[in-house]
Amino acid sequence: MIELIDVSKTYGGTVKAVDNLNLTIPGGEIFGFLGPNGAGKTTTIKMITGILNADSGTIKVNGVDIKTDPVKVKKQIGFVPDSPNMFLRLKGIEYLGFMADMYDVSSKDRTEIIDDLAKKFGMEDVLNDRIQSYSHGMRQKIVLMGSLLHDPSVWILDEPMTGLDPRSSFILKEMMRKRADSEKTVFFSTHVLDVAEKICDKVAIINKGRILFCGTLDEMRNSSMKDESLEKLFLELTENEE
Amino acid sequence: MKNKMLLLTRTLLKNGEGFGIKGMKNKVSKVLFALMLIIILPGLVVMFSFFVNSAYSALAVIGQEGVIISWGIAITSTVILLFGIFYIAASFYFSRDVEVLLYLPLKPRQIVGAKFLTAAIFEYIITAAVFLPAVIVYGIRSAVGIVFYLYSFVVFVFIPVVPLCLASVLVMILMRFTNASKHKDTFSIIGGTLALLLGMGINIVMQRFIVNINLQELEALITKGENTLALLTSGIFPTARWAVSALLDTATAAGFLNLLLYAAASAAVYIFLLFLGEKVYIKGVVGLSESVSKRNKQNKAEERDKFLKKHSALRTYTMLELKLLFRTPIYFLNCVIVNFIWPVLLLIYMVMGTEGADMQGMVKQLIINTDNAGTIFLFGIAMFAFVAGFNGTVSTSISREGQELFVKKYIPVSYRTQILAKVLSGFILSIAGAVFMLIAATAVFKLPLYISLLILVAGWMGTLLISFFEILLDLYNPKLDWDSEQKAVKQNMNVVYSMVISSIVGGLTIYAAAQFSPGIITAALSAVLIYGGLNVLVYFLLCKKGVERFKQLEG
Repeated sequence: MIELIDVSKTYGGTVKAVDNLNLTIPGGEIFGFLGPNGAGKTTTIKMITGILNADSGTIKVNGVDIKTDPVKVKKQIGFVPDSPNMFLRLKGIEYLGFMADMYDVSSKDRTEIIDDLAKKFGMEDVLNDRIQSYSHGMRQKIVLMGSLLHDPSVWILDEPMTGLDPRSSFILKEMMRKRADSEKTVFFSTHVLDVAEKICDKVAIINKGRILFCGTLDEMRNSSMKDESLEKLFLELTENEE
Repeated sequence: MKNKMLLLTRTLLKNGEGFGIKGMKNKVSKVLFALMLIIILPGLVVMFSFFVNSAYSALAVIGQEGVIISWGIAITSTVILLFGIFYIAASFYFSRDVEVLLYLPLKPRQIVGAKFLTAAIFEYIITAAVFLPAVIVYGIRSAVGIVFYLYSFVVFVFIPVVPLCLASVLVMILMRFTNASKHKDTFSIIGGTLALLLGMGINIVMQRFIVNINLQELEALITKGENTLALLTSGIFPTARWAVSALLDTATAAGFLNLLLYAAASAAVYIFLLFLGEKVYIKGVVGLSESVSKRNKQNKAEERDKFLKKHSALRTYTMLELKLLFRTPIYFLNCVIVNFIWPVLLLIYMVMGTEGADMQGMVKQLIINTDNAGTIFLFGIAMFAFVAGFNGTVSTSISREGQELFVKKYIPVSYRTQILAKVLSGFILSIAGAVFMLIAATAVFKLPLYISLLILVAGWMGTLLISFFEILLDLYNPKLDWDSEQKAVKQNMNVVYSMVISSIVGGLTIYAAAQFSPGIITAALSAVLIYGGLNVLVYFLLCKKGVERFKQLEG
């Protein structure tokens, strides 16, 4: 479970990226985080994962405050950043080995998980190549694999579908569902509303650093009293804000 | 055909190839570039002219001033060949426009021709810096006529052709028949290292023959025949002989004939290059964008197991830093190789030339007297501090993260461990460089073994202290916003600051040694106490302030 309580973040002293945000993301559900460009999605995710420090407020992961025990919090999270262009000069397998050591994964566990994931994503034959030689989609897959090595109880993904082929994207969605079904927390941001509509149990819509809506899609439809697609509801919500 | 080639040349030049103007979006960069052309180039010409002038005086005594011209051409050709290999590889094969050119209706020879011409234009800067001083000094001092200058102009125009063609042929054959084109990083690393070594070689030759000129030696050398460099060069560039003969014999028809021969030979070599380009260029360049991969399952399990063995976070993190330092060409040249270059340069300075001989004599004198053991020991400790400060490894270790810093923020490894891993990777490199220097110094100055061993046992404290200072420096003043790795290390002031810090620490140690001339036991004890104490102090500072600072950094 992730809890954000009165969290704010300002850039450069003036631009308020996240404004007094309150959000609870329980385990056992796929939670979608939606919002237009520059709404504060990535800033929020970066604060949860410890990349950015919140100016004020409290962030807890499974009850542990990130300020008091950051390493313990980070160990419970598997994170997929929005750009997979990193560690390009490492081989895929070296990257995974590095991540496994960082997350303290035993030799046996990492071998099993890597074999399993590589098979699922069709990456078996390229693990010994440098990430530099990978396509965008392959880079995305290696980062996805790295995020699951320690079987995290909280999985946070920033725009995870970008660049994935249909098969991999299907597998990813399946994995998200499976993890949610085993009571783990799955929290992801996306621009693709169709995806959100199909797989999310709950969504939060953020704009200008504030949460406009948080709940199930049915609740959203009920509150607007219209039986419309998520796309239309989203546009109406964010437009009213303008 | 010709039109298309010239058109392409013009487009490539406009696109900024050759000078990198393409990347200069703002006026400031352009002004800086212009300033470089206006100030630095003439500056170089003037600087070389002074060198050449002193050489001329010495050579004139024995009536061999013509050697200036052959040296001028020899050095220019060598430097062009050297830079050329690098430049041609980048321009012919690694440049982003290559892929675009491939699908245009152009013949391979047109691409090769145009790329060659743009490269040649770049080489005229080098030619001007190196060849012009020879022409100017020789022209003025020998009071030659206008024909000499006219001939010089023709030679100037043709000088880059042969060495650059040679570089192109070498690179094209390399790319065609090896898979070097697919290993850009390896090529850059090997090329860069070779360039550095050759640069040092030229530096040594210049020192030997020009700066510390010894008349008798020189006379012996010249009466024996040509000097080695000129001989070597005319071996590699046979056409250079015609240029030299033409310039030294401007009065007769033979001189003119030599000039014609030189121009014709250069043109012939260029045409050969076009012919070769037509045959091999495309085959080397096609598939360049394909990713390098073995894509086979052989040894997969073994390889995988090697990487999947569990290690501590500190070890793996340190290894990652080292891997990236060795695999990224810019980092390899500026952080790894530099480690070994500084010590070598210093030693060369100490063993060569008259000043070097004085210095060496002084050091040997010092060593003979056992009373000086403590002083020598402290010099050694200071050297360990110097070597650590003069490579940019730890002082750029945060900066090198650049936009990827966020990864180091979300992995569950304490900032303290991360900082220590960064220090450790730089420490390992610095120690390697310092030990390398210690071994060389022991051999050159015949250092007593027990002093060398003592230095080895205590020297690491100097290295570690400087490394601690360096990481603090980079934590407080990181350069994270860069788009090319070059900027992270080459345009990073932290490297300069760390040199200053290590100079102060090393300088104070040397000062103390000279001032108090302690015995070996006193020196060893006080070094261990002072350096050890400082290390503990800075370590605690690092664990408190450094960790706090890392926490605040937000890429």
